[in-house]
Amino acid sequence: MDRRTFLKLAGIGSLSFAAGCSDPEKTIYSLVKAPDDMVTGQAKWYATTCRECPAGCGVLVKNREGRVIKIEGNPLHPINKGKVCIRGQAALQGVYNPGRLKSPILKTENGLQNISFSDAENLLSEKFSIAKISGSGRIKMMTEVVSRPLYQIFDHIMTTYGADAPTVFEPFAYESLKTANEMVFGIDGLFSYKMEQSDFLISFGADFLDTWLSPVEYTIKFKEMHGVRNGKKGRFVHISPSQTLTAANADTWIPCNIDDETIVALGLIREMIVWGKGETLDKSLLGNLQSIADPYTIQKVSEQTGISERLISGISESLVKSRHPLVLGSGNSFNGERSLETCIASNLLNLLLNPDLSQLDFNERYRVETAARRSEIYNFFNEVSEDKTNLLLLNNVNPVFTLPKQSGVQKALKNKSVFVVCFSNFMDETSAKADMVIPVAMPLESWDVYESTSKVITTLQPAMKPLYGDPQIGDLLIRSSFKDVTETEFYKTEVIRSLVKKGSISTELQWLNMVRNGGLYNVPENKASFSKKLSKKIFDVLLLDRKETTIPLSLAIMPSVRFFDGRGANRPWLSEIPDPLTKVVWQAPVLMHPETVKRNNLKHGDMTAIETDNGLVEAIVYETAGIKENVLGISMRRDHTIDGQFIEDKEDSIFSLLSANIENLSGGPISHARVISIKKAKSSEPLAHTDGSRLQHDRKIAMAMPFSQYSNSQDHKKTHGGSGLSMHEFPLTLPIPEGYDAHRDIYPSHEHENYRWAMVVDLDRCVGCAACMGACYAENNIGIAGKRQIINGREMSWVRVERYLDPEDNKKVIFLPMMCQHCDAAPCESVCPVYAPHHSKEGLNNQIYNRCIGTRFCSQNCPYKVRRFNWFGWKWPYPLNLQLNPDVTARSKGVMEKCSFCIQRIKEAHTTAKREKRKIKDGEVIPACAQTCPSDVFTFGNLMDPESRVSKLVSDKRAYQVMGYLNTKPAVIYLKKILNEI
Amino acid sequence: MAELTAAQIDNTVLDTLAAPSKTYWGIVGLLGVGVMIGLMCWGYQIVVGIGVGGQNNPVAWGTYLINFVFWVGIAHSGTLISAILYLFRAGWRNPIARAAETMTVFAVCTAGLFPLIHVGRVWVVYYMLPYPNQRTLWPNFQSPLVFDVVAISTYLTVSAMFWYTGMLPDLAIIRDRATGNRKKIFSILCLGWSGRLEQWRHYTRIYLFFAALATPLVISVHSVVSWDFALGVIPGWHSTVFAPYFVAGAIHSGLAMVVTLMIPLRKLFKYEKIITMGVLENVAKTIVFTGLIVGYAYGVEYFLAWYSGNSVEQESFMWRAVGEYKIEFWIMVICNSIVPLLFFIKKIRTSIPWLLIICIMVNIGMWYERFVIIAGSVAHDFIPHAWGYYAPTLTEFGIMLGAFCLFFFLFILFVKHMPSISMTEMKEHLHAGGNDAG
Repeated sequence: MDRRTFLKLAGIGSLSFAAGCSDPEKTIYSLVKAPDDMVTGQAKWYATTCRECPAGCGVLVKNREGRVIKIEGNPLHPINKGKVCIRGQAALQGVYNPGRLKSPILKTENGLQNISFSDAENLLSEKFSIAKISGSGRIKMMTEVVSRPLYQIFDHIMTTYGADAPTVFEPFAYESLKTANEMVFGIDGLFSYKMEQSDFLISFGADFLDTWLSPVEYTIKFKEMHGVRNGKKGRFVHISPSQTLTAANADTWIPCNIDDETIVALGLIREMIVWGKGETLDKSLLGNLQSIADPYTIQKVSEQTGISERLISGISESLVKSRHPLVLGSGNSFNGERSLETCIASNLLNLLLNPDLSQLDFNERYRVETAARRSEIYNFFNEVSEDKTNLLLLNNVNPVFTLPKQSGVQKALKNKSVFVVCFSNFMDETSAKADMVIPVAMPLESWDVYESTSKVITTLQPAMKPLYGDPQIGDLLIRSSFKDVTETEFYKTEVIRSLVKKGSISTELQWLNMVRNGGLYNVPENKASFSKKLSKKIFDVLLLDRKETTIPLSLAIMPSVRFFDGRGANRPWLSEIPDPLTKVVWQAPVLMHPETVKRNNLKHGDMTAIETDNGLVEAIVYETAGIKENVLGISMRRDHTIDGQFIEDKEDSIFSLLSANIENLSGGPISHARVISIKKAKSSEPLAHTDGSRLQHDRKIAMAMPFSQYSNSQDHKKTHGGSGLSMHEFPLTLPIPEGYDAHRDIYPSHEHENYRWAMVVDLDRCVGCAACMGACYAENNIGIAGKRQIINGREMSWVRVERYLDPEDNKKVIFLPMMCQHCDAAPCESVCPVYAPHHSKEGLNNQIYNRCIGTRFCSQNCPYKVRRFNWFGWKWPYPLNLQLNPDVTARSKGVMEKCSFCIQRIKEAHTTAKREKRKIKDGEVIPACAQTCPSDVFTFGNLMDPESRVSKLVSDKRAYQVMGYLNTKPAVIYLKKILNEI
Repeated sequence: MAELTAAQIDNTVLDTLAAPSKTYWGIVGLLGVGVMIGLMCWGYQIVVGIGVGGQNNPVAWGTYLINFVFWVGIAHSGTLISAILYLFRAGWRNPIARAAETMTVFAVCTAGLFPLIHVGRVWVVYYMLPYPNQRTLWPNFQSPLVFDVVAISTYLTVSAMFWYTGMLPDLAIIRDRATGNRKKIFSILCLGWSGRLEQWRHYTRIYLFFAALATPLVISVHSVVSWDFALGVIPGWHSTVFAPYFVAGAIHSGLAMVVTLMIPLRKLFKYEKIITMGVLENVAKTIVFTGLIVGYAYGVEYFLAWYSGNSVEQESFMWRAVGEYKIEFWIMVICNSIVPLLFFIKKIRTSIPWLLIICIMVNIGMWYERFVIIAGSVAHDFIPHAWGYYAPTLTEFGIMLGAFCLFFFLFILFVKHMPSISMTEMKEHLHAGGNDAG
């Protein structure tokens, strides 16, 4: 071979070798025709509305290169004031869910068949025509809670075909609360509470931080009332069978049996009357009330509920002393036979305590009040079964999952003569049984409005094009149902027209303004009239002779702070982020009191088979003092694969354990069932939890101080400035030159240029809701490890909410968000052989992914254990990868990662500041966690600026650093929680 | 030893180099398969990720570093025996010095693989080396891992050179008796050794210098390895006792490994006259000594935890004894510091089965000591919320099997192809009497 041939062959060989190794998917296509307002690398924000639950929070959606990548709250929006909960954050994973249907599906004899959107539309209009020919009223429709214009379209269609108005189905329809409101205030609906004005709050199972009415709104209001401000702090007592997130945030949580809330409430009514409250009330009413409440003496209440007399009298005393007490009834969790009574009693207590009812805002009504009562839902399906229907339309509801087996829904859907059309983006329990499933544009891709409350009309606009070109349901129905009737019209036009008709807006320009702001926030209110004349019925209800049936053990199906009624279960983040209280991921264990566990010869972590009157479920035992002894609790769970795919073979949902019984007066469901047996199951699975010990072993991690100590101490100097370096007395050592002490430090402090970023975390404000974690997952492209890997201990969260129990009373909980502390004397930095953890000139502890070789020494040496290693190359199954934030690297396997204080946001602020030739202003950089936190736990800023908020907050006497005795000089400074027990 | 003659020594040792049997090659083949299994597991881990092992958060260091420390520890007594005992003129080290040195070299080689297996991105592991680069980035010389790189590579270099130098006269003996290709190979290997007086003079001087150079390394290497932990902040690691504690532990395990290797070697190669019971007895006595030091170190750790008044430290040590890893802890205590005390009894330390059993137990105990320290400490450190436990996976066991096979594979190849006993030193020993080490 001559030299030339050799060179040729070698050249070809090496080139083909190089080409063979390259990854073909790395091809970049340019956007041939870019949208007008799209600038590559620059985000667009669209104001729209979160529709993950009926609350209707305003959100800003970040769009990068045509893809929505992050959801943040709309600061202008009066409901959520710029904050979003964990479910809202995860709405993106609905849009990008791998299980999302790409085209309509028709059930044929040969199984499921994908059809085109136009075929589906034609088939639908054909079905409409057939229904029309068969006679009037042959169509039935059930929908989720929708906006008024959309409901009007539905209604109009139904009227045209001579059918009944569409039924609005929402698993949490607050029947008992609605009925109680009607009976006591004459308002058949759900109004808002001015919780922020109250100084003493009693909740009878109202989980307003979890799922109740409008969780973000009430988290904000709750912390306004309960967070320490100007030396004042409200008190909160929660009475419920299980320690929900809301209960865990109460100053005093009182466990009681299901339905025993009523007894406590009546006892309090008696006490209040004894204390002379309610004198302004009508005398005969008061007399009636007195006679009803009279048997409920403190002794009797204590006897019946097992709550100590001291506690009850303590509460009633505090109630009397407080100036603005507020009492909440629930309506969505632990619904029992006496829920209505509890709600009535709560309303009566409000009436007794605040005769002017200043904290109840009757004018602000929640949209979810349009939901039909459970009794009506059951009737609906019974009618469908009765062969009077040809076409059944289900809009984004999943009754097969959320209704008990005996409800008749399965029978109705099996009825051969009914053609069932599901408008749903996913294969779920209901769409799997439908004849045709038509995916429609999701809320983030649609035009609409939504009446979050009667004062707020919030707009929805497409933040991106529908991923698979799905039509909007409004457009689709207008087209298919009115095919031969009227001209085709767009739903968006209809929305504007309806707003104009209602007088909300008058011109097109106003509509544009409304869209830009995300809604109309000053809707002229119709003064709701409420009558103080109580309906006589309440006395009938309260005097109703209840059979004293003591259920030895009942199983309660509880709303989930992560999955709501189970609808969020296919969003991987929601399964991956642990439940705030159990810290369990990907599983829904059964909560059991230690006594109950012992009595049934079980132990923590055992798989049990629990049988109720209606069904059988297998769940892992989670031993906790956070539940009443005679109650078992399972949250509303749903099984999904790791990439959001629906698992069809699970025939029995968690709701099939319940009976289809309803509470007659309110028409509400019963959300618990009698347990027949608990046995150890044959199968077993380890509990996938992210916590180690539930106690903090006196290590000064999550610290608290009693309110008395906080308010009495006149000394406003730093009480934390201890001089010692022992575990019990240690100083606050700020990561700035002042924090350095020649006696303790070998090395001098780092020198920083202009900025030393730091964060203050106020434990008194943290409710543990994990919204920060959701925001962090979305912002920072954090991998989803899945159940198996979390059992192996490989969760990837950069910020975690640590939950610690009081060793003396396991019912007391303290939450602590833990993320990289960006220490000035960072143990991780010195041990890395290759300088991958690097101290930046602005004080950040940067992790240089490219430099990391994966020795994991940094993680081993981190006392806070906040570093996360990429054990694998984590997968984002298509299209979840479209959500990845282009500003943040998606890390590959073998490197360490951790909280970066959202350095991409700091960099962006630097760019802006540099362009404007100024320094970064305080509050200009807000990390994702701080941005979304509904209770404003996090404050981020520059410690070198004495005027910054963080600099001011660190002089608070509550300031401390986690395990400050290690002298790592963390840049995350915590403020102690303030305890204010009764 | 009086009955031995120089010729007998030569013959006994050179007999071991006779053409190996099929069984021998069978064993070599089996060990080779074991090495391949390890390699395949490693390959699988590189492709899929470190997650195929059992490490997690908080226990990010698992069997890879346990084995690393274990093998570095094994490597210790080779140099101890050949260098320190040489300088101390302890004559009983001569029969076992060569095998112990060989063990050292191969154990360091095996140990040196584990950091590579351990890191997440082995393909960029060269970042740890101080090489000039356009990014002007240097390794972090504050990091104990960089100390490790320096310490281990120095140790490997010095012990390999010491080992090879010591072998030169013996290689020449083999050359002299060999024919054909074998003669050619050994002619090259013995570097032209002719046995002239100047050569002997240089040889003895250089051997002494190497011994003097290697001696501090024996102490330093494992001290440096111990700083991987002692320089950390983790309770159970952050302790000044670590350097002497680790050195003693290393020698303890190394001596036990020497006995474990010598007993079969002695039997198979009919070395009974050379490696006498007296030699083994002396090793056993030293094991008693190191075992006592190790036991003392365990006690000191508990004393310090109590004396510090630091509740994190106290809780951590209490948990060691009664917590999730209590079985591992008690294996460690019993095997390392209680069982070796049986060697106080003469009957036991002169009984081959007892020697073998106890030494294997010490090896197991020392492996668990590293487990307790490395995995146990971080499993239960500062933040209780982050506590978590670790168990090795099949992949890790595969790699561990591969490492053990690699060590024995190399060792078996060596003893059959190279002189496993220093004929030179044995003859000097013969000449100078029992109390002179060479």
